Amino acid sequence: MRYEIWLAALTDELRRHGVGPDLAGHVVAEAAAHLRDSGEPPLRAFGPPSAYAAAVADSIGGPAQRARGVVGPVRLRAVDITKGYGRRTVLSGVSLTVHAGQVAAIVGANGSGKSTFLRICAGLTGADGGQVELHGTVGYCPQAGGTADFLRADEHFALVGAGRGMPRGAAVRAGGRQASALDWTPGGEQARQLSGGTRQKLNLVLAGLGDPDILLLDEPYQGFDRGTYLDFWHEVWQWRDRGRAVVVVTHLLNQLDRVDVVLDLSAGGAGVAA
Amino acid sequence: MTRTLTVAEMTLRETARRRGVLVMLLVLPLAFYLARRGDHLGQSIRFVCLGLSWALSTAALFVGSAARSLEPRLRLSGYRTHQLFLGRLVALWGLGVALSAPYFVLIRFDQHDVRYGAIAVIMLLGVLVAPLFGLAVSALLPRDLEGMLVLLTVVGLQMILDPAGNAARVLPFWYSREIGTYAIDHTSVGYLDRGLLHGAVTAVLLLIVVAVAFGIRLRRRPHVRMV
Repeated sequence: MRYEIWLAALTDELRRHGVGPDLAGHVVAEAAAHLRDSGEPPLRAFGPPSAYAAAVADSIGGPAQRARGVVGPVRLRAVDITKGYGRRTVLSGVSLTVHAGQVAAIVGANGSGKSTFLRICAGLTGADGGQVELHGTVGYCPQAGGTADFLRADEHFALVGAGRGMPRGAAVRAGGRQASALDWTPGGEQARQLSGGTRQKLNLVLAGLGDPDILLLDEPYQGFDRGTYLDFWHEVWQWRDRGRAVVVVTHLLNQLDRVDVVLDLSAGGAGVAA
Repeated sequence: MTRTLTVAEMTLRETARRRGVLVMLLVLPLAFYLARRGDHLGQSIRFVCLGLSWALSTAALFVGSAARSLEPRLRLSGYRTHQLFLGRLVALWGLGVALSAPYFVLIRFDQHDVRYGAIAVIMLLGVLVAPLFGLAVSALLPRDLEGMLVLLTVVGLQMILDPAGNAARVLPFWYSREIGTYAIDHTSVGYLDRGLLHGAVTAVLLLIVVAVAFGIRLRRRPHVRMV
């Protein structure tokens, strides 16, 4: 691997691992100087870019914690949500408040009602009791579906963008930009021709199109490879930094220390926000 | 208006990419036409009009079913419910005109001593009513198979039942038999009037069904308050 290519890959990987731009620039400059001086092939000197970036991130104690912005006004307030299917109570008195500039994670075992709660927050499923207040526009990313099999990505962008009042060109450009942040360049394929992970990227881009105030994401990373998974969380932090309220349904707990609110639905349907 | 037309455009793009379905849609009415062309030219006109209606209803059923998982997202993106179903209908009406035109030309040159204007009216009513019927079925029955069985039953009954009987009049394509009689057998204008009235009433009723069914399915739930 030529070392310029290796350095570019390292830059991407450092960003994915949450290494801040200053430190990343420093690390890349040092690596470049070493490679220039030693003449060693980069793979022999440092190994694969992803492994070296992971080692750098570990050595500084994990991803950089961004300076937290000021928490804004309430964007989503769900109070005492109750929901049952037949005799089975899925949610009982679940409450959650998310402010602008916050990320909330909804966790719990399979069947604990995570997706149901998110759909209730989006207004897509009725609740048996309780209230949801939404202060702003909503973007929703379902766990599956949510796309049209025979439409291309740019057509999806135009369709969803029109709903948000965006001109077609602007919607397609915005979609393309968000897709590239997930390491994906949309081509001419129809949605049915995309792999599962790429289809989820499309789903995620559609949720964020038009920069809605509230993002409701239902396990959107299904099928993502590790790099894209890191890109996804990078996007989540970006949304938070821009003052959006983000709610993510997840069963992967390794990011929980970096979210602002955790709603645990494991406790027999009665959610506890911490 | 932009949103409705965007939905219509995307519906047409999706449909245009289902080439196999398009070929079947185009050929199916021809089979209806040819089935009785040898022994009863007039009957072949009635059958081709029913075939067109069935093809368009089926197309609408699949368009409605395919859009189901996308529509909640579109509602959240800012679309109003009527923009979603009107967009689909505009696309299907356009498709219907494109599908019916070759058959009108075929009848114009293959059949003689019939009222061509009345045949055009049947086809236009079919273009209007059939997509509404298919979309109404898709809105009420979420699964394709159930919807297909309903369409099959309705068209089958429409062919079997005596058009003069009361039962036939409650079927959505009765107007086509009535105006067909006027066009082929040169009966009194009363047949045309009854057919037009039936077609118009059916279209209005089906539009109400579509609007109500879409409205219920895509309604904003009462527990949500947009502040």
